[in-house]
Amino acid sequence: MRNNIRPSHAAQASEERAGVDALLLRRMAAGDNAALSELYDRFSRPLYATALRIVNDPSDAQDIIQDAFVALWEKASIFETERGTAFSWAVTLVRNRAIDRLRSRRRRARLLEGSTPAELGYREDTDGPAADDSAALNDDARSVRAAVDALPADQQRALKLAFFSGLTQEEIAAKLQEPLGTVKARIRRGLHKLRDTMGRRL
Amino acid sequence: MIDPRHEESACLYVLDLLEGAELAEFEAALARDPALGQHVRELREAAAALAHTPRPAVPPPEVKQCILSRCSRASTPPASAPNRILSFPALIPWALAACLALCAAWTGSLYLTARSENAMLRDSQRLADLELRSARTQFDSERIVDQREIAETRQQLADAAKDLSNSSRQVADLNQKLKVEADMAQYKITTLDSTPDHAPQAVAVVVWCPSMQEGVLAVKKLPDLPAGKDYQLWVIDPAKGPVDAGVFAIDAATGEAHVTFKTRQPIKSIAKFAVSMEQKGGSPTPHDVVLLSSSDSL
Repeated sequence: MRNNIRPSHAAQASEERAGVDALLLRRMAAGDNAALSELYDRFSRPLYATALRIVNDPSDAQDIIQDAFVALWEKASIFETERGTAFSWAVTLVRNRAIDRLRSRRRRARLLEGSTPAELGYREDTDGPAADDSAALNDDARSVRAAVDALPADQQRALKLAFFSGLTQEEIAAKLQEPLGTVKARIRRGLHKLRDTMGRRL
Repeated sequence: MIDPRHEESACLYVLDLLEGAELAEFEAALARDPALGQHVRELREAAAALAHTPRPAVPPPEVKQCILSRCSRASTPPASAPNRILSFPALIPWALAACLALCAAWTGSLYLTARSENAMLRDSQRLADLELRSARTQFDSERIVDQREIAETRQQLADAAKDLSNSSRQVADLNQKLKVEADMAQYKITTLDSTPDHAPQAVAVVVWCPSMQEGVLAVKKLPDLPAGKDYQLWVIDPAKGPVDAGVFAIDAATGEAHVTFKTRQPIKSIAKFAVSMEQKGGSPTPHDVVLLSSSDSL
């Protein structure tokens, strides 16, 4: 049971990071540009990587994280720690913007039907660090990667499609050529395992 | 305990894969169930961690500069006032000014309070005046209504009294009629026959009411009276004999007379009526000539 697991050293570090992130947001709410600079340094890499992974275009990804950080600056005063961490909020802002842009691009191109992953703006071969990039990962990223890598391949694939592709449930099922119920079950099992693994860390 | 159906929906929800009715239903459940809310927060954190899985990428440095620049333009940090160190003597005028300002503020506050209370009292007085006026108006209107009601009642009483009077009069009339009718039943009528020697053509009728002890005599064709004479009517009571019923004269032109008469003594029963010619003014008992007399007793 998750509740019986005692917090580890990694969990304490993660909590401390979340606390610092929240403090930075509060300082940003008070108009502190230095706090914004610090938060950018802490969040920009995963957020940029996420945006890039979704839209598959560096220019668009840069626009997206600019908009997202400006939104964080403007809305910092309404942040509540009870509703989640600052990082998950920032990820939500970036992901929503990236998926909106991706879907807009799809609508314009009308490429949804019969498109290849690359044509849909989603590339499945962009996961995982290159050998020379692994040093750039912090402890959090490394442990999350380990948790995701530990998932069965079908669950990994369903989860990543759900998170990065901007496709609907039905589109994901069509893409994976699996029944919708199977896809939903894979997403549920994968996300629960990821939560449980992170719960051990947290 | 999370509903298994909601567990799957929660996963799809944090990945923005719920749409339409599914989304509305889940959000309604989320609003109702705090445990489900906590479950969603945990799943959202897990999903957010997927942001660490793509190949690491570093945004160009100009992105940060651009962000900081945009946010600097947007922010307006409060301007700091220059600090000045003032000596104690320099503070005296400011302290005096502050005291004066406080006194003025206090006086002004007192004035405003008094003015406010005065206004409230005036309002209260105005309100009381209005209430008094209203009460007077109501009293006057009630008085007018009462007076009208009294006048109407009086009129009704007068009408009732009038009606009662009329009714009483009608009752009296009716009683009178009834009495008259009753009396009529008591009336006795008889004719008087003439004596062939003295008044051969004379005829007379007498109507007698025993209860009233009164009667009417109608006579025709009596001869003219000699000087010093009067006709006298007699009621013959079997117990008392002839009782005087008065003298009468006739119309010289027609020889007729209509006489209402009363006897000088009460009459219990009548044997007959008679008319005689007596000395002027009548006599206590009949002495002279009998001209008319009834034949049957009443």
